[in-house]
Amino acid sequence: MELLSTIDMSVTFGGLRAVDAVSFTVEQGQLIGLIGPNGAGKTTFIDGITGFVPTTGSIRFAGQEISRLPAHRRARLGLGRTWQSLELFEDLNIEENLRVAAEPQSARSFLTDLVWPQRSHKGSGVEYAMDVLGIRELALRMPNEVSQGQRKLISAARALAARPQLVCMDEPAAGLDTSESQELGCRLRRIIDAGITIFLVDHDMGLVLNVCDYIYVIEFGATIAQGTPDEIKRDPRVIEAYLGSSAEAAE
Amino acid sequence: MIRRRAAAIGVPRLLLIALGVVLLAFILLNAEYRHNFLTGGGVAEGALIAAIALGVVLTYRGSGVVNFANGAIAMYVAYVYTILRRSGKLFLPPIPNPLKAIEGLVHASGGSKSFTMPNIPVAISFGTTMGFWPALALSLAFCVLLGLGLHFLVFRPLRNAPPLAKVVASVGVLVFLQAIIILRYNTTVQTVRPLPIVHKTQVRLPFIKLAQDQLFVAILVIVFTVLLSMLFRYTRFGLATRAAAENEKGAVVLGFSPDFLAGTNWVLSTVITGLLGILVASVNTTMDPVSLAALIVPALTAALVGSFSSFWRTTLAAFVLGMQVPLVQYISANKSWFPSSNGVFWPGFEYLLPVVVIVLVLFLIGSTLPTRGAISSGRLPFAPSPPAWTIRYGGPALAVFAAICGLFLFSPVYRGALANTLIGIIICLSIVVVTGFVGQISLAQMSFAGISAFVVSKLSFEHGWPFPWPILFGALVALVVGLLVAIPALRVRGVNLAIITFAFAVAIDYVVFGNNSVTGGYNGAPVHVPSWINPNNPGKYHFLGLTAGDGLQPNPMTAIFCLVAVVVLCYLVANLRRSTTGRQMLAMRSNERAAAAAGVNVAGTKLLAFAVSAFVAGIGGGVLAYQAGAVTADPFSYRESLVFFAFAYLGGISTVSGAVVGGFLVEGGLLFTLLEDKFGMSPGMVLVIGGLGLIVAAIQNPEGIAGNIALGGKRLRAWLRGRSTGATDAQPAVAASGPGAA
Repeated sequence: MELLSTIDMSVTFGGLRAVDAVSFTVEQGQLIGLIGPNGAGKTTFIDGITGFVPTTGSIRFAGQEISRLPAHRRARLGLGRTWQSLELFEDLNIEENLRVAAEPQSARSFLTDLVWPQRSHKGSGVEYAMDVLGIRELALRMPNEVSQGQRKLISAARALAARPQLVCMDEPAAGLDTSESQELGCRLRRIIDAGITIFLVDHDMGLVLNVCDYIYVIEFGATIAQGTPDEIKRDPRVIEAYLGSSAEAAE
Repeated sequence: MIRRRAAAIGVPRLLLIALGVVLLAFILLNAEYRHNFLTGGGVAEGALIAAIALGVVLTYRGSGVVNFANGAIAMYVAYVYTILRRSGKLFLPPIPNPLKAIEGLVHASGGSKSFTMPNIPVAISFGTTMGFWPALALSLAFCVLLGLGLHFLVFRPLRNAPPLAKVVASVGVLVFLQAIIILRYNTTVQTVRPLPIVHKTQVRLPFIKLAQDQLFVAILVIVFTVLLSMLFRYTRFGLATRAAAENEKGAVVLGFSPDFLAGTNWVLSTVITGLLGILVASVNTTMDPVSLAALIVPALTAALVGSFSSFWRTTLAAFVLGMQVPLVQYISANKSWFPSSNGVFWPGFEYLLPVVVIVLVLFLIGSTLPTRGAISSGRLPFAPSPPAWTIRYGGPALAVFAAICGLFLFSPVYRGALANTLIGIIICLSIVVVTGFVGQISLAQMSFAGISAFVVSKLSFEHGWPFPWPILFGALVALVVGLLVAIPALRVRGVNLAIITFAFAVAIDYVVFGNNSVTGGYNGAPVHVPSWINPNNPGKYHFLGLTAGDGLQPNPMTAIFCLVAVVVLCYLVANLRRSTTGRQMLAMRSNERAAAAAGVNVAGTKLLAFAVSAFVAGIGGGVLAYQAGAVTADPFSYRESLVFFAFAYLGGISTVSGAVVGGFLVEGGLLFTLLEDKFGMSPGMVLVIGGLGLIVAAIQNPEGIAGNIALGGKRLRAWLRGRSTGATDAQPAVAASGPGAA
């Protein structure tokens, strides 16, 4: 089933087309990868889908046109994201970081909370996200007290705590070594198995080629290739633009 | 899409300019209006506003600080000059006198009341009077020192701090300078000698007749505008300042240290502002510390019109804002179509135009304040969730202790101080919600409280509403007004909200609280208070074999009524921090983009915080109305809003316990009553300490007093457990994360 699709989505900064009429589709339950060289427009593409830069063209998510919705409405529809720079809430502890994403605000909860705030969050996305990423023991720590690798996990956990249908992950493997990157790959597959679709943007060719079901390659804001990992490895344009001789190394 | 957005930004701007041009043309083409618009008094006022605004633009371009204190700087320097000329004395800020503490201890321990220790001098004398030139030279030398002092002692240590801290420090400077003048010379109007270098003879120009000295100051301001524009456009210094605003490394490449640039711009700013402050005060021949410092509002408005970068646009806007004053006064006094209050002249409308301009500029054009390239590495005060023991035991124990003190132990003076402290806690709580939880600055909390207080008076006295319903309704009115003020601020962040709320507070002072038919004049607006909490009821109460009260005013039950309100509100605000909404507020304070990605409605949450804050302040105003028995305008002036902000910040801006500490510090509260009663501290010192404390807190200690007590407690517990070495990291040092942290 088609979960997210864009038709001719473009993002323009001044005179520069950072994303140029990209059309793509994400099927439910898949792990979709997006790769491209530095400055190809990968992060801008995520910003466009999740509502952080103005776009033209159509974006459909779960059967609904969302290109005019503000970012927080898209998030509440089940379109989560992580940030390359993590962007944790430094004033809140780890558990509270996750609870912000997990608990939607409502007028009723605002009023009842003023009298008797809910302290338990059993069965909410918070527990689930902490377990999937193995950060339960960090719950009461502050973000600046944990390691950079743990901050990455918290950032991903925060996106998962909202129990999204789709998570866009912006370079989750940046700065990880090979074994950590493989460990991340396993965790991503576990998330997929739990029914959450992932749209993975990364530099790490090994990770993307190993775990993704389907891959898009962009350069200068436009799609230059798409296909399964095997097709991408053989695509001459991709080899020329991005992989070069490292394609053999990845195999 | 982007092109359409650009057009969408351009159209309102063009509309605004067109609106301004049409209005000006209408005024200039109508002889009656033109005559009242082109006046000497208006031009001189415009020149002073322009000078203050030029200083604001200079310091913003040089150091990224929006200087709320620049009006107070003009005022302070004008006082230095005036007093020098009149008595040859250079007055000094109050210097703490350790000997006074000994004196107080002797008095407190029952020693002779005639025992006194020597005082520290309050001024340096240069003779009996001083001529114009030496006084001017000495005053300008003082300006240089003031500029250097502000740079090196206050804003240089804050150069990497979040914008919130910089605004807080500049508000602290405002409160501090104003407090010194009020301590030394009261708020009374001072006369200033005319300038010996130009005459008061009238000059006739096309369309306008004005005095020579008025023309002189106007030309001087225009000359400064030309010089500053040239300095920034054609010199390496100007180029480097512009480069430093974009990226501090840019200035280094040009061979200037950003520090030198910021310091020089500070000195330039204080000298220009001070010089014009002296000259225009001399032209006007009178001045007072409150209205002169409030000129920062039209000055900030002009700077906003000039996008905090164009000297020309700033000066032009400043002249228009100065010249509209006599015109609006004329229209409101003479035109039947203009709003009047019960058929009588309604004063203060000239203060509304800056608010209207700010709202139009911010709302239609969006943020015009250019952001600076420097990465802020400072932090906002830590806002921990209140630990369970404070809610279950600590808070209730404190409340019971306060009740026992109020009922059985305190003398009348301290019962009054207890009530003041309790109301102070409520106002501080309202500031905690908007500034501590959301990181937005509101400088109008006492205006919201005042609006509520006057509504309470009307409902209880004229409409006979029974206690306590007027308080709730008054707070709802404050909530609605708060929302109206906050909506323009939705499109913009922190500093702009501080500007708009400050302008609002000043306008409300003159338009609403300056109107006798609202405030009931000298005696104030009466409140119908039930006798059991009436402060004027010298009650004595017997229950359980105990006697509460000593048969003297104020009624001990008044403080108990305030205490009930405080306990309820502390509980609600503590719960807000522990709730989903509270976490969302703090998430937004940390990082707006990431909060939106986590599904937080950023605009809605900001509005909610503002509404809750105005509501809490409104409850404070209503409680104050019942506690005082009558409502006067004085406790709700813009100065009071600034002072409460200072004490809330000093107490601890981000926690309920901080608000409680802040309440102890307020004017008339328990701490200063004790200091005045036992140690003979003069009442004016409260504000001096408040301003100074705010500056120090902004630089050294954003957690405030309560945060430090909590930190001390943690260290003590760690030490008791024998882990003193690991105690330093007991409190997480929260690193603000980039631009979103503001």
